[in-house]
Amino acid sequence: MKPDENLVLADFAARFAGEIAPQVQPAYLAAAIGMSAGILGMIAEDWDRSASRRVEENRAVRGLFRDAAGLGLEAGLAARLAALAEGNDDDLRLSALEAGNEALRAALIDLHAAVEAMEGAAAKALNDAIWRELSASTQRRRLSAGSF
Amino acid sequence: MTAPLEPRIAAYIASRVPGARDVAVDALARISGGASRETYRFRLQYTDAAGVPVERRLILRRDPPASLIETQRRVEFAAYQAFHGSSVPVPEMLWLEEQDDALDHPFFIAQELTGFETGAYNLQQPPYAQHQASYGLRKWTILGEIAKADPVALGLTEVMDPIAPDACWKRELDYWEGVLDEDEITPQPVIRAAIRWLRANPPPPAQKIGVVHGDYRTGNFLYDDKGEIHGILDWEMAHLGDPLEDLGWGLNRIWCMARDDRRGGLLPHAEAVAIWERASGLTADPAALHWWELFNCVKGQGIWVSSARAWTDNENRDPIMIFSAWLMLNPQDRAALELMGRL
Repeated sequence: MKPDENLVLADFAARFAGEIAPQVQPAYLAAAIGMSAGILGMIAEDWDRSASRRVEENRAVRGLFRDAAGLGLEAGLAARLAALAEGNDDDLRLSALEAGNEALRAALIDLHAAVEAMEGAAAKALNDAIWRELSASTQRRRLSAGSF
Repeated sequence: MTAPLEPRIAAYIASRVPGARDVAVDALARISGGASRETYRFRLQYTDAAGVPVERRLILRRDPPASLIETQRRVEFAAYQAFHGSSVPVPEMLWLEEQDDALDHPFFIAQELTGFETGAYNLQQPPYAQHQASYGLRKWTILGEIAKADPVALGLTEVMDPIAPDACWKRELDYWEGVLDEDEITPQPVIRAAIRWLRANPPPPAQKIGVVHGDYRTGNFLYDDKGEIHGILDWEMAHLGDPLEDLGWGLNRIWCMARDDRRGGLLPHAEAVAIWERASGLTADPAALHWWELFNCVKGQGIWVSSARAWTDNENRDPIMIFSAWLMLNPQDRAALELMGRL
């Protein structure tokens, strides 16, 4: 749609915060409008990247699961990871991408815990790769309003 | 439709002040900032038993249907009472009501400290920014005073759960991991990794069992425009425990409002810790403090996922519930990663 959704949301956020909230009484409602504006601003910032960051992350986590093959993980976990690694992001609706992301990140927790408890260079390398992906995951989600 | 609050507050106060006549409440206004209680200010007027007119500005803190933080108001009330008149500035507590009859939900009424600011981000702007070092000195000195206080002498062991010095860390970690288990909407791989590390590397026993404020941070105190702090607020998570818990929360990266290394947007980490050590008479062992700082990332994430859960479940649709979750979840993960050397 035109004008672009993110531009519309960002404009609404700026108007709510800068023009409307200061004229509202009582202060509690003004603050609620200000926070609603902040929420719209965060949605606006995340809008354009919403699908791409999920696809990028899902691919990265599936790659970690493929790297885990042959590590000697417990059979149930190994099978679960193998199945998830075969998944795809053909359905580009955000709800579908998010559902896939949640399943992958839940399994990533189990993989990480298992790898931490393992000895050997391969396990250490995968552990380091998981940490790098976790760091990257926070970079993908960064918002300008965040303090850190 | 719910009956207006003013006459109901007046009726309640009339029942609690012997001999009071012509009790009236006006200028009632809900104010922002209280995510765990509904907070209102109002003016109280009455004639006392001696015939003297009385006028007071007061605060009503009432439980909402669901909040960011599940807490016990009796403990909060007692903590305020315990420190009133001490070197830890707090408003005077007046009445605690734990039944629903008077105002639909439990509440307490307290003195309003007027003429001060609470906004965390205002401290980065004139006329406050030039006094950041003074606010920082006062902030961590007062926290040291809280840590130094004797909870037995304050009477707080009567209302707060006891804890052994070597059990503080586990009780807190168990609790907040439980909150995550119950409330998280999406998996939290960073914080789950932090929890595993914390369990594998427990801290030493607490140097003392002290009063832990539970939410001691920039944004939860009243300040003037000259560098002084006049009131420590939001004691709803107060408990007995390791004083390093409070220090670790206040030092958390998510409160770096100036977007640099100044903790609470006020002072560098090392300076804040040194001030706290001088004021408390305690030692902030670096390894122990590191544990408590990382633990506070778990606690923080527990708070943010709980607010997201309450909003999602339609228990509380106040915008602050989703605003805080969206704004804080990712910085909290980043803070944990930084502390684990993995950012």
